Amino acid sequence: MEYKKALFMYRNKDYAVDGIRSALGLAVENMYSYGVVMDCEIEKLDEHNMESIEMLRDMEGEVYTTVPANQEKNGFELLTLEEVGEKLREMDIIIPYGLK
Amino acid sequence: MKILNIYKSQPDETVKKLVEIVSRDRDSESFDLTVDNPDYDALVDKIFAADQTICWW
Amino acid sequence: MAKSLGIFVSDPNCLQHVIGVTKAAKAKGSKVKIFFTWTATHNSKDKAFPELCALADDVSICVDSYKKQGYDISDVPQGLTEKKMATQAQHGIIIEDYDCYLSF
Repeated sequence: MEYKKALFMYRNKDYAVDGIRSALGLAVENMYSYGVVMDCEIEKLDEHNMESIEMLRDMEGEVYTTVPANQEKNGFELLTLEEVGEKLREMDIIIPYGLK
Repeated sequence: MKILNIYKSQPDETVKKLVEIVSRDRDSESFDLTVDNPDYDALVDKIFAADQTICWW
Repeated sequence: MAKSLGIFVSDPNCLQHVIGVTKAAKAKGSKVKIFFTWTATHNSKDKAFPELCALADDVSICVDSYKKQGYDISDVPQGLTEKKMATQAQHGIIIEDYDCYLSF
């Protein structure tokens, strides 16, 4: 069985953390699930949210960002916008999440 | 692979760039939801005809 | 036979589009399932929401989001039942079991 791949894109800091929770929700449903925080800098995540991201990684998902500050604060893998675009090409499901 | 790009607002440079990469060497269509009375019947036809639908912000 | 359609809603300002697409899809004989999450759970308090629930085959909301948006989970929105106050698993069902996927 081939598992589906989904990528969530977050461009608003008020939607990023909950959107990551949605990404985790698909990972537990046996999908490869990814998130990418774009355009916005989010706060340093608390232990509970970091655990969610660790769970996502344990299921071969990942959270990326195009913003260096998010890599420094939360350890998200840094991508260029072009690299995000290339990732999108591999996805079955693409979700521009919440508000811009 | 046929992609349908739906726009809820006018695409900015970020969206334009991503659409350009996602649609490269693929068959793509678009649908504008910013108009006053969107033709939802036509939109559903396009969704059914596409292999993948992306509704941008 | 018309394809089935699953709709995932995370943008709170798109209810009119959700209703428009659902009406059009149902008119074509499609089966439609909708799941609202995060701030889009505010849509469950819109006066048009019960009509949408009657129109679509299956409507559910993320109960955790609903609670975080300040609602009491025992206050089940009109058009839903307690069972439809659900989890992100509904999003997985939309992706796995429906022919076409749309997010708003």
